[in-house]
Amino acid sequence: MNNRFVINYTPGPTFLHQLSGFTKVFLFIVMTVAIIATYDVRILWPLCIISIAEIVSMKPNWKPIIFMFLFTFFTVTIIGNIMLFVVSPDAGLNNVGTETILWASASGRFYISKEWLWYIYVVWVKRTASFASVMAFALMTTPSEFASGLNKCGLPYKVCTIISLAYRTIPDIANDFVDIRNSMMMRGVELGKKAPVGKRLKNHVTLLVPLIMSSFGKVGNIANAMDLRGYGKNKKRTWYAEHEPTKYDKIVRGITIALGIATIVYILWARIIDPWPAKIWAPFVDKSAIQQVSLEESFFLFRWLKGLFNK
Amino acid sequence: MAEKSLGQKLLGTWNTKTIVAVAIGAALFGVLMVYGGIPVTTNTNLTTAMIIPVVVGAFFGPLPALVAAGVGNVIADLIGGWGMWFDWSIGNGIAAFFVGLLPVYGAYVTEGVFNWKHALIYALCVIVGNGLAFGVVTPIFTTIFYGGDLNVTFIQAIAGSISNIAVELIVGIPLMFILAARSKSRTNLKEEE
Repeated sequence: MNNRFVINYTPGPTFLHQLSGFTKVFLFIVMTVAIIATYDVRILWPLCIISIAEIVSMKPNWKPIIFMFLFTFFTVTIIGNIMLFVVSPDAGLNNVGTETILWASASGRFYISKEWLWYIYVVWVKRTASFASVMAFALMTTPSEFASGLNKCGLPYKVCTIISLAYRTIPDIANDFVDIRNSMMMRGVELGKKAPVGKRLKNHVTLLVPLIMSSFGKVGNIANAMDLRGYGKNKKRTWYAEHEPTKYDKIVRGITIALGIATIVYILWARIIDPWPAKIWAPFVDKSAIQQVSLEESFFLFRWLKGLFNK
Repeated sequence: MAEKSLGQKLLGTWNTKTIVAVAIGAALFGVLMVYGGIPVTTNTNLTTAMIIPVVVGAFFGPLPALVAAGVGNVIADLIGGWGMWFDWSIGNGIAAFFVGLLPVYGAYVTEGVFNWKHALIYALCVIVGNGLAFGVVTPIFTTIFYGGDLNVTFIQAIAGSISNIAVELIVGIPLMFILAARSKSRTNLKEEE
């Protein structure tokens, strides 16, 4: 189980690892906002490539990353798109604004349009960019740097302590979890695929009670130890993990600020100054041909409610 | 114990003990979300992690439960590596707030107080909280943040809330009785004059 973790607890040797916590957190926040803000593949691909370049530059252990990527790809993308095909084949029209049907079933209930394919492509790029930026951040940051960086961004330090402490206890909890699971399995509690879902859930619960008891049993000890060292006495707190910004920190912060300004300018430009009428930009769609679809028509619950009221 | 005001009950007391407990709750939530789940549909798991906000809420109040679930979900996203889903983190936090309302309506589990009346209110809170969090809040944030299709998100949200409600009712209520019974046997000692 431990080899599946991607979190670092000690800073690594490469360039990005050496940056200070605040630089990393700041870069991550700006990247996340930029990815969330846009549906434009012309913006998303560069963001995605920056994140992938970050990951490559850190020379990580690729095995867990590829495993996670494939797992996510399978669950979110493939199953999600099959669901999307069944539930809303009109997603292309709703998000891109036009509809060019490539294939339709005999009844006309299910169909695939060029815009639908474009929509799932854009969402896939967006998710991959999001995945890559999270992965890059998780690989380059140690929990203490994460906490100190967030504190420097203005989050109260008690919340930051929660985050770093939570990370700190994960390996302990994972070890306890494995110990308890092994001892349960030795007593014949089936947790694998052999048992039916209901039974498996029940068996997972029998695992849960000792885990909760042992984990929350430690609370008193840890809290006393922290109190004895004077935790929470003052309004402010310094961080062992945070160091003075180096030359590289300043360069990366400069790039991040530029990226942030570019994101804000882009949002202003794309939403207010020259808005594209549909949610997603597509190269093959003419701006004048786009039709607006209201929320009532695209969302089945509203459609159903409307039908109910009209009766 | 002196009666606290409603605001105090909602916020909880934020001393070192609460901070440590919330941190451990968040870590447990993250670990269980990644390793202790049975997949239902995409993005949703029949996960035993949803019990953690119940326990944190019972011990420390709704706001600690909210923070534990929200931070826990962010941690789960980071160690699970499936990308950041802030929409679900927010949804889980809000559901956890409702689920963790236990001390507000007088179910002091730490003092051994939990009866069938409390269980009924708890069940209502679970249903309302999950319905609101995953039926309204999460779909809104999903469409704003990630451009997910509203129909698919809604189906995922329904599947997610049903599995969460199931776990929180089927596992949560017996667990509360067990915890209350354990606490009762330890708190009936009285200090002699």
